[in-house]
Amino acid sequence: MSNVLVELSNAMVAAAEKAGASTVLVSARRRMSASGIVYAANLILTADHVVEQEEGITVTLSDGSVLGAKLAGRDPGSDLALLRLERPAGKPAEISGEAKIGQLALALGRPSTGGIEASLGVVSAVGGPVRTPRGMLDRYIRTDTTPYPGFSGGPLVDSEGRVIGLNTSGFGYGAALTIPADLAWSVAAQLEKHGSVQRGYLGIRSQSVEISEPAQKVLKREQAAGLVIIGVEDDSPAETGGLMVGDILVGIEKHPIHDHDELFANLAGEAVGKSIAVEILRGGKPETLNIKVGVRA
Amino acid sequence: MNLTSQFESALDDLMTRIRGVLVVVNNKRQGAGAGVLAGDGLVLTNNHVAGDGHALEVTLEDGGPYMAKLVKRNTDADLALLQIAEHGHPAAIFSTREPRPGEMVFAYGHPWGQRNVLTGGVLSAVTTAHTRSGEIPILRSDVQLAPGNSGGPLLNAAGEVLGLNAMIFGGDQSVAIPASIIREFLAEAHKSRPGPTIPGDVM
Repeated sequence: MSNVLVELSNAMVAAAEKAGASTVLVSARRRMSASGIVYAANLILTADHVVEQEEGITVTLSDGSVLGAKLAGRDPGSDLALLRLERPAGKPAEISGEAKIGQLALALGRPSTGGIEASLGVVSAVGGPVRTPRGMLDRYIRTDTTPYPGFSGGPLVDSEGRVIGLNTSGFGYGAALTIPADLAWSVAAQLEKHGSVQRGYLGIRSQSVEISEPAQKVLKREQAAGLVIIGVEDDSPAETGGLMVGDILVGIEKHPIHDHDELFANLAGEAVGKSIAVEILRGGKPETLNIKVGVRA
Repeated sequence: MNLTSQFESALDDLMTRIRGVLVVVNNKRQGAGAGVLAGDGLVLTNNHVAGDGHALEVTLEDGGPYMAKLVKRNTDADLALLQIAEHGHPAAIFSTREPRPGEMVFAYGHPWGQRNVLTGGVLSAVTTAHTRSGEIPILRSDVQLAPGNSGGPLLNAAGEVLGLNAMIFGGDQSVAIPASIIREFLAEAHKSRPGPTIPGDVM
């Protein structure tokens, strides 16, 4: 018999099978194996915390073939690691658009050679930036799927089998989080190129400060907080760019900056090495400075 | 009719079709579990629900409780077959298809003693569990199970029984004994016992 329930069920199976072909088993620690996503034919994206060794890493593909792999790069802050297969053999995963609250999602994993495993849920929340035990995560997705053992590094997929994000329980909090696919892919691109994610450096000390209502009128937007500069390091990008003690930093590249977390998030990745527009309030008046972001050692 | 109403009405149909085959199995010493009608007055449940096999009672959707006699058990697969004197009720359909990870599943039972509760999820894995006499195949799902779900069916989207929920395996994980094992168990029961035939696939 066929009805909408059967059709939905078949669609879920098809999604699990499609994405399952790009979901691999990652053996890079002594305990429990974990999962990974085929990012490119020779590259596997997985969770950083499941990679506990650099030697003798193996990856089992969906067809059962076992390949040796080497660590190509890692970013503990976002709990992502990239592995390079000894030869190109993987089928790269397809990625989905932005996660929407309430959308159906399947968490997939390949914790054993017994086959793909799945858990159903919905996207419960989208948030960020958030501090992680070893850095910052710009954005995250939370779901009510079941994070089975060995699911870290595996994909969260939509009803079409496209990757919404990479699941990890490596941040603690007693729950699993999902790193949005576009963010995970951009980290992966940096790991492929540099082996690590470069963090931006301005050379300032700052603290959160309230922005008065008249100042908000001058800014022409509602923004209750910014960062007041309380120190500028000698010969730093901030000094070169003209930033001064007493300035209130309110935005970077048109993104309002309310606190340190947002500042860090906007200084990572693409911004490094580039000249960025830093919006400040100086003596109650808005100004924009162009500052070339340095690399944090 | 929009998709969500179609979904609800399909779910309602599934409930209606399956309601008659779900029973309550009462074991005076150890409390209650669930079971499914397997035709000709046979009731399939978990071995741990049947307990020592004495003082068993089965309550159907539309009658009972009826006295039940334990006719067969498999302690490793946690299966038991009971016989009641009531005949002519519909029997559950045991799926003959390979279970597929990601497919929608529904557990039907009496969690925490609440009657006829349906909980949904997907099939998570087709795997194995260790028992005293070796490994047996099991189904894992992300459906929330509770005491009282034991012995109840894990259904697929078409309302066929994919497995029998057995909370006794796998700690806090939701585990079911697959239909393939149940079929073998029923076939053995049929061989070893004259009289009524084992139910076929047609309801």
